[in-house]
Parts: sequence; structure tokens; C-alpha cells
Amino acid sequence: MIKQRIASLGKSTLDTFESLGRATIFLCQASIGIPGKEGFHLWLRQMHFIGVMSLAIVLVSGLFIGMVLGLQGYTILVDFGAEDALGQMVSLSLLRELAPVVAALLFAGRAGSALTAEIGLMKATEQLSSMEMIGVDPLRRVVAPRLWAGFVSLPLLTIGFSVVGIWGGYLVGVDWLGVNEGSYWSNMQASVSFIDDVGNGLLKALVFALVVTWIAVFQGYDLVPTSEGISRATTRTVVYSSLAVLGLDFVLTTLMFGEL
Amino acid sequence: MMNDSQFVEVENLYFSRGDKEIFRGVDMHIPRGKITAIMGPSGSGKTTLLKLIGGQLYPDTGRVQIDGLDVHRLKRRELFRLRRRMGMLFQSGALFSDLSVFENVAFPMRVHTDLPEAMIRDVVLMKLEAVGLRGARNLMPAELSGGMLRRVALARAIALDPELILYDEPFVGQDPISMGVLVELIKKVNQALGLTAVIVSHDIKETMSIADYVYVLSDGKVMAHGTPANLNVDRDARVSQFMHGEPDGPVPFHYPAPDYYSDILNEGARP
Ligand SMILES: Nc1ncnc2c1ncn2[C@@H]1O[C@H](COP(=O)(O)OP(=O)(O)OP(=O)(O)O)[C@@H](O)[C@H]1O
Ligand SMILES: [Mg+2]
Repeated sequence: MIKQRIASLGKSTLDTFESLGRATIFLCQASIGIPGKEGFHLWLRQMHFIGVMSLAIVLVSGLFIGMVLGLQGYTILVDFGAEDALGQMVSLSLLRELAPVVAALLFAGRAGSALTAEIGLMKATEQLSSMEMIGVDPLRRVVAPRLWAGFVSLPLLTIGFSVVGIWGGYLVGVDWLGVNEGSYWSNMQASVSFIDDVGNGLLKALVFALVVTWIAVFQGYDLVPTSEGISRATTRTVVYSSLAVLGLDFVLTTLMFGEL
Repeated sequence: MMNDSQFVEVENLYFSRGDKEIFRGVDMHIPRGKITAIMGPSGSGKTTLLKLIGGQLYPDTGRVQIDGLDVHRLKRRELFRLRRRMGMLFQSGALFSDLSVFENVAFPMRVHTDLPEAMIRDVVLMKLEAVGLRGARNLMPAELSGGMLRRVALARAIALDPELILYDEPFVGQDPISMGVLVELIKKVNQALGLTAVIVSHDIKETMSIADYVYVLSDGKVMAHGTPANLNVDRDARVSQFMHGEPDGPVPFHYPAPDYYSDILNEGARP
């Protein structure tokens, strides 16, 4: 009985490492796309599907989160008579934490799941196999453009999220609750450091972009080619990438802001 | 060892999926410039064999050589280069669902050649005309019937005039007219270009009419092989059962299962 448990634990550990290994080899093979103009076109097309199509949900969410931050921040700060620091609070929360994390979570749900399902369906209908038999490597033609498009889009989306969020905080704080406009902006300007805050936030976004897109395309490429397999892999993409984003966020925050 | 007149050599091939042994020592020689048919009961592993030849699956032991190259020892790049010299018609068609019929057939040329657009257009229309679907060039794969889908896939498989073509069930779902056309087309492509063709098919009459050599797979092995004329008069009970399509005989029609009556009567059991 106990022996069996240990054996099954060992097996699942081995399986986990095996699939991590496969995923790493996969990432190496899929990181080189098709060179030249054609590869650029494939990438641009994916930028549209992955990046542009996620723009609306990311910007709208950013606006709401900025507005909520403005409101919540104001009610706390006003007790200390410190509502002039609202700009600082909104911008730092967004740049350091909320924009990279929330944008990545939204991205995993909006673009990641779609990537998994799309690649999975191509696998299930043998489109990937037939591409291989035509002599075209699907890792380079199908996966690589998607990987790079995801890697580039998420940081850009994160910037958009922050900008809209700061504007949302301004709408609520300044226009609605009457915080002084000058102090909203000047406090923000004085306290936000370009490298420590903007830079680190973007670094987070790059890491999340890599992880989420990697998980999404690998789950699609590696799934069991049935309708059940596709639905499971799509779920796994969202679950794994959300957990990875939140876990990595803690690690990165410790490294970046731990000693401040 | 390598005989120059053989294009594909399958040697002592073993392959299993999980516990199920699909091949237990298959040897096959596919002559250059000829049409070789592979037949066998459904589930005997014909599609699997084509995928092994195309390097999409790896055998447990044994090897497959194409034009002197060991398919399963090639590096990824070399394998892809070798595949440019092959065409494969998938059993499911496997057209790219985001490309129109025209673009599907043009795809191999676009990725592997620098032909000008006008030339690509001419070749695509020529291939589509050959399968009777020139008028369907602007449709998307989702708008095609099963039989049309396969004909487009066939046009795509021969688009680059490959040296080796693997046809997986080219005649399935075709009406008698298009069936006749496809038989002629496969024969013509083979004769005009001198390429090597492998056909997997259940349509014994059609396949026998164009094949130069036939292999019959059963039970993980090559059960019989020979020219169509030889096989037709083969007195081996299993061969003649298959050739003449008789339900009863030594070749099992059923996937391995427990005895039918005890299975049915065993009501309380799990499915
Ligand atoms: N992906 C797979 N996973 C597990 N077993 C498989 C898989 N694909 C095929 N098989 C098994 O391999 C055996 C051979 O399948 P294959 O598709 O090669 O048969 P086939 O000869 O082409 O049959 P048909 O004439 O019906 O197309 C079958 O018994 C099938 O159950
Ligand atoms: Mg088959």
C-alpha cells in the first residue's frame, strides 16, 4: 500500500519533470521563426489576433481598476489629510503591481486560451502533421510567430493598462472627488522612478508574457488530440498561467522591491 | 545492400502503441517509379505505416530508408528537407482550415519555391482542374464535402510533383465518376513523372487495376505480397478471403474481443 503510494508519487514526479523537459526543448525549437519578410508577416498577423484583439478588454479593465484605486485611495488618504498623494498611490500600485499582474491574468484568459485551442484543433485535425509532411516545420511557422507575438504584446498591453489606469484614477480623484490637479500629477512625477518603478514593472510584464505564452502554445502543441483533450488543455492553460503569474509576481517583487 | 531500384525500404519494423503491438517485423520494398499498394483489414496499421515512412512516428526497432536515407536517424532539418521530396494525402484530408482551396494547393509552392504569382496560379488551376475542382477554388475547406476535401488534398499533395507520394485512402467518399477520374489521375501522375507512389486503399478492384505490386498487411506482419495477377490467384485461404471480400475466413473482421455471446449475456458487468 505504502509502497504503491511512493511508486505513484515517484511516477508523477518523473512525469512532471519529463513534461518540463519537453516544454523546454519545445521552447528552444520554437523560438526561431521563419526569417525574412514572410516570417514578419506571420508575426504581424498574430500581433493582430493576440495583441490588438486583447486591447479592448485590457484597456477597459485598466480604466475600472484605476477608477477603483482612485476611490479607495481617496477614502483612506483623506482620513490623514494626505489626499494630495493620491497620484503617487495610484501610479505606484499600477506600475509596480496591478498593471503587470492583472494584464497578464486577462491575457491568459483572453489570448492564452485561444492560442491553446487553436493550436490544439490544428493538431487534432492533422493540420500540423500535414504541414510537417509538406516539409514545413510547424514549430517555426505556426508556433514561433505566436510565441513572439505574445511576448511582445503583453508588455505593450501592460503599458496601455497603466496609462489608462492612471487616467481613471485622475477622473475619479480629481474630476469627481476634488483632489488638486497639480498635486495629483506633481506628486506622481516626484515619486515614480523610471528605472525602479516603470522599468521593473515592464520587466515583470516581459517575464509574464514569456511564461503565459509559453504555457499556452505548449499546452496546445502537446495535448491529446481529441475534443476532450482540447478542453482540458485550455483549462490547464488558464489555471497554470494564472498560478505561474501570481507565484512569479511574489518572487519578482521580493527581488525587485524587497529591500526598499 | 541498398538496391538502386528500391526507393523505400522497410526493414524488420516493430512498432507498438502502449501495450498493443501494431507491427511485429514488417519488411517491405517499394520500387522506384512504380505504384505499390498496401492493403489490409481496417485497423491493421496502414495509416501507421505511412506515418512511420514519413518520419512522424518512430519505430521501436527496425528501420525505414528512403532513397538511401535512414528516415529516423535524420536530424530535424534533414528530415524536413527529405519531406519536401514527398507528398502525402491524409486520410482526413487535413487541409489548412484558415486558407481557401486555392491557397491550400498553392501553399507548398509558396513555401518552397520562388515561382512568380502568375506561375503559381497556373499550376494551382491545373492541379485543381485535374481533380475537377477548378470552380471551387475560392471556397473555404469548411464549405466542401468530404469527397471534395480529399480531392483538394490530393491536388495539394501533387502540387510540387514530389518523388514519392503516399496516398491514404484516396478513393473513400468518391462517386463512381470521380473515382474513375482519380484512378486515371494517379496512374497518369505516376507514369508522366516517373514518381514512386504508395496507395493505401480498401477498394480492391480500383487499386488492383493500377498497382504494380501489392502488400497485404495483417496481424502486424506482411501476410502476402506480389503482383496483382499473382495475388488474385493466390490459393492461400487468408489472401483469397481478403481479395474476394468474404466475411468468413481466417482473417478476423473484429477487433480482438471476448466471446460475443458471453459478452452480451454478461449484463451486470462493466462496459
Ligand atoms: N493515436 C493513437 N493512439 C493509440 N492507438 C492508435 C492511435 N492511432 C491508431 N491506433 C491504433 O493503431 C492501430 C492501427 O491504426 P491505423 O490507423 O494505422 O489503421 P488502418 O490500417 O489505417 O485502418 P483504416 O483502414 O481503418 O484506416 C489500430 O488498432 C488503432 O487502434
Ligand atoms: Mg487508416
